Formats: sequence, C-alpha cells, structure tokens
Amino acid sequence: MKLLIKITVFVAFILSLVITAQAAEIKIGIAEALTGPVAKYGVPIKNGFTLAAEEINATGGIKGNKIILIVEDEQAKKEEAINVFKKFIFQDKVLAIFGPTLSNSAFASDPFANAQKTVVFGTSNTAEGITAIGPYVFRNSVAEADILPIVTKVATKKLGLKKVAIIYGNDDSMTKSSYEIFLRAINAEKLEVVDTETFAKGDLDFSAQLTKIKSLNPDAVFCAALVEEASNVILQARKLGLSDKVKFIGGNGFNSAKLIEIAGKAAEGSISGSPWFLDDPSKKNQAFVKSYTKKYGMAPDQFAAQSYDALYIMAEGIKAIKLSGNLEKDRTALRDALAKVKNFKGVGGTFSFNESRDAEQKGRVLSIKNGKFAIFAE
Amino acid sequence: MIEFLMSFWQTYNTLFYTVLVHGMLALSIYITLACGQLSLGNAAFMGIGAYTAALFTMKLNVPFGIALLAGGMLPALIALIIGAPTLRLSGVYLAMATLGFGEVVRVAFLNMSITGGSVGLNGVPPKTELWHLFAAMGVLIYFFLKLKNSRFGRALEAIREDEVAAAVMGIKTTWFKVWAFAIGAFIAGLAGGLNAHFTYFLSPREYGFDFAVDILTFAILGGTGTFWGPLIGSTILTILPEMLRFIGSYRLALNGLILVLVVIYLPNGIITVKKKD
Repeated sequence: MKLLIKITVFVAFILSLVITAQAAEIKIGIAEALTGPVAKYGVPIKNGFTLAAEEINATGGIKGNKIILIVEDEQAKKEEAINVFKKFIFQDKVLAIFGPTLSNSAFASDPFANAQKTVVFGTSNTAEGITAIGPYVFRNSVAEADILPIVTKVATKKLGLKKVAIIYGNDDSMTKSSYEIFLRAINAEKLEVVDTETFAKGDLDFSAQLTKIKSLNPDAVFCAALVEEASNVILQARKLGLSDKVKFIGGNGFNSAKLIEIAGKAAEGSISGSPWFLDDPSKKNQAFVKSYTKKYGMAPDQFAAQSYDALYIMAEGIKAIKLSGNLEKDRTALRDALAKVKNFKGVGGTFSFNESRDAEQKGRVLSIKNGKFAIFAE
Repeated sequence: MIEFLMSFWQTYNTLFYTVLVHGMLALSIYITLACGQLSLGNAAFMGIGAYTAALFTMKLNVPFGIALLAGGMLPALIALIIGAPTLRLSGVYLAMATLGFGEVVRVAFLNMSITGGSVGLNGVPPKTELWHLFAAMGVLIYFFLKLKNSRFGRALEAIREDEVAAAVMGIKTTWFKVWAFAIGAFIAGLAGGLNAHFTYFLSPREYGFDFAVDILTFAILGGTGTFWGPLIGSTILTILPEMLRFIGSYRLALNGLILVLVVIYLPNGIITVKKKD
C-alpha cells in the first residue's frame, strides 16, 4: 500500500513536471467596466482583447504558451478597480494587468500594481499623469494632447480658419481636458475665439448655445464632447441653419461610427483625429474589422482597436523574455522587455513606447466623406 | 494555509477598509433616521469631508488627525446651517432639502479649481491604516451604545415615535433634530476623509445621488430599529458583490435578487427590534 502511494506521488510529480514544461499558461488580468454606464467603452475593450487572444492561441500561442485571459468587472468604480487589481496580483497571480477603463479608476488602482511590481497596461486612459504613477504603468492610448494640436493645425491651414467658436462639456474629465488642449492649440495657431459655450452630460437641447454661435459667424466650431452630445450638437446646428461650410472639429468623441449613425448627413465633413479609423484600407485593419464584425455582430470602435493592438504589443514583450516560473522575476523581466517594444505594426499603424511608457504613434487627421471616415489631409 | 491566508488578506484588505467606511456611512444616516428624519445628503457630506481632509494633507501638510477632524467639522457646520431652517418643518422637507444640497455640492466640486474640477483630485497620500478605521468604528459603537439610554437618545426616540407628543413633553424637537443631523454629517465627513486616504483619488461623480441612495439602502436593508442594523446592512451590501464574483456577468443580477428577497421577507430589515408595548 505504502509503495503504491509512493508510486502515485512519483508519477504525479513527473506528470506535473512534464505538463509545466510543455505548455505554461500565461495568465493576464483584464479589469474593465463591463456593467453600468461606462460598459459602452469597457465591453468593446474586452472584445478586442478576447479576439486578439483567440488569434494568438489559435496560431500556437506565445512560444507554445497559451494566453489565458481572466476578465473581471470593475464597474468604473475606484474601490472595485482596487479590489480587482489585488485579486489579479495576489490570488490569480497574473503576469500582467490590462485596464481599468477610466483614468479616474486608474489613478486609484495603478499605484497598487506598481507597488507590487506588476505591469499594468491601460488602453483607454488618456488623462495626463497616468504613466507618471510609476515604471510599471504603460499605455497605448494616444493622448489627445498629442493629436488635437495636429488636427487644429491641419484644419486651420486647409480651411483657412481665422475666427472660431468652441462648445464643450464642462462636467466630464475627458471633454474638459480636450477643451483645454484645443484652446492651447487654437492660441498657438493665433485664431480668434469668438465664443465659448458649455453644456452638461446628458443635455439634449443645445439650441441656445448654437444660436449664439451662429450669430457670430465663426469659420469653424471646435466641439469637445462625447459621441452622443457631439452628434446632437451637429444635428441641431444644421437644423438651425448653420452653413455646411462651417465645419465641426472634434476630439475622441467624434471618432466613432455612432456619430455617423446618429447625425447622418449632418456629420459630413466633420473633422477629427486618431491613429486608427474604421475605414483604414490597410490589410491588417481590414482583416481585424472583418473578424471583429463577424464575431460580435457590430463594427469595432477605437477602444476595441486599441485593446486588440495592446494584447499583441504585450505578446511582443512576453516573446522577448524567458518565463522562469518565478512570478516576481517574470513580472520585472516583462516590464523591461515591454519598455523596449519599438516599431510594432498594428491595426492603428506603427507603434512604439516612448521613454515615459506612453504611446508614440502618428495621429491622422480624418474627415467624414459619404458616411465614412477618410483621411482629411496629412 | 498560512500562504492562503496571506494572499487572502493581501487581496481583500481594501475590502475590509471599504466595509468599515460604509459602516460609518450607514451609522451617519441611522442617527437622522433615529429621529424620524430622512437625509439624502450624506454622500455629499462624505464628499465635503473627503475633499477637505485631502486638501488639508496635500496643500497644508497638517497631521492626519487634524485633517480628519477638519473633514468631519466642516460638514457638521454646514449641516447646522442648512438643518436649522429646514428641520423646523416636519415631514419630508429634510429629504427634499438634502437632495438639492447633494446636487449643489456635486456641481460645486465640478466647478471649483481647488478640487480639480471634473478631472478630480489626484495624488492623495495613503495615510489611512486599518487601525484608524477600527478605532473610529470602536468609538462610534461606544457612542451609539451609550446613546441608547441617554437623554439625547431617548429624546430622538420620542421624536421618531410622535413628534407632537414629544414637543408636548417639553423636548425641543428642532434642537435635537438639528444636532442629530449635524452628528450624522460629522460621521459621514470623517468616513470621507478616511476613504480619501486609501484610494488616492477623488472625483465629484463619486458623491452623487446614486451613492446617497446606496447609503440609505445600507440602513434600510439592515433595519433601522437599532444601530446594529445599518452596520449589518452595509457589511452585507459591500461584501456580497465581491463574494458573487465567481458567477461572472450575472453577479449584479443575483445581488439584486438577494436584496429583493430580503425586502420581501424581512420588510423591517435584517435586524428587527420587537416593539415594547
């Protein structure tokens, strides 16, 4: 009997050795807002990760190691984000973490990952100061601070702008910071601001603000708004008789298929900027759009594209290290390898991390032509 | 086993922090409910306390204790100012006034530059230790135990049962209601200050109407007959979503179902106090 137990233990031991040697699992935590009002960003992000992981695993994983995604809902609440991060780090023992969805939550949860020397990779955190949290914090979301000045410059030149109006949502951190960036860019281009109007999230009627803007005859209207409000602003402006020649220039909120869906013809000619856009004819992007649409029954948005690329970027980092099985060592090695990722070709174009582990990616200025996003000017 | 406990503790220690903070918030609304008044401003008081304490430690570099005290005192002061006129009236006026007040506070946070506006306040130093929370909770439990049979506590109970009768007996009803409201605001502000110093970051949207209702739910679920009820209610409501995590995307639905069942079968809350005849 004793012998039998010994043999069993021995066999089990050997088996476990063989199994770990053959295919280790690379566990990666995904903390995104999957319920509540922020889920409209969190769900596409999760979809992008899932699609990329399936593709990587279908082609043999990373050096034979399969990627296992552990997905948790952080409800866009900072306490939840902290709980999820700790669960990933201490219980699931993940190699690295993606998320959280909002910059606000990232400010609360990322310090914990950084303190535990675990890579945390944001795909949708655009606020200033996220990567300043520590050396383990990365992101591939291109900050509006890098793109909007280019958009402003190109639009000013091509449309010959002299005086402009601004309308923005002043109760949302994203739209408010886009406004500030726009304002700096507008001042740098020496444009005259004839009017600045504000609204709050959830507002439906913008006619008072737009009537005033119309009466002042601007050459263009800068609009820092989320997609719902942005669409309504454009629709109502055209209804009030604002000339088609007065183009709307927007931030992240404009770069969504929803804008075209809601505002329809009124959205024609609207200008925005982003590294990625749905109708980018590159082969890589067309393949991504096709398989995403097939799997989820809807077109991907910028958030899905960024998370899809992010997992491939992470895979580049993992490829460059030798997994030792010692989690602490592997996490640190991954950090060092990830920081060196350069010239990665993804659906959003060529990507590198800069010295502060932020995205270095060329933004493209887009405009809506015949219901599709197209390059406005280089 | 030890390793398991270690990793369990490392994972869930923030949850313990949150349980204690929510417990304090539940007590902060209990004391106004104890005199039959409904306050929907406790989330706003928590926000004022959180911002005040955080700004005190960040900008003025004062010791943590003083920052927390300031975080409790300012909401209490504001509660005295808005409570004095509204609590002279009986009925639902406090609920209406505090509902409006909560919105005013949220919009004020959004538009002030010192609070960081909609971008929020980042980089609050992590100063809250678990023992701070246990100490605060210990003091509060002692306070509520003593309150029950004190002059103040009995006056509150009398006002809750029948305000007119209490007034006839010579209880200065407005005075007691205002003080109960201010004490609740102090506790909420203190909870906010403690919460701010372990979550690094504050934003105005955290202290809106949704959270005010959450706080009320803590008390209602646990039962408002004794102060243990709100404590039990807040603990369950904080831990339950974490415990249900293994169910994945249906967890919030199940969470809701459990709440509905409790409300149907235990309409007076989980802890029901027998009425003395």
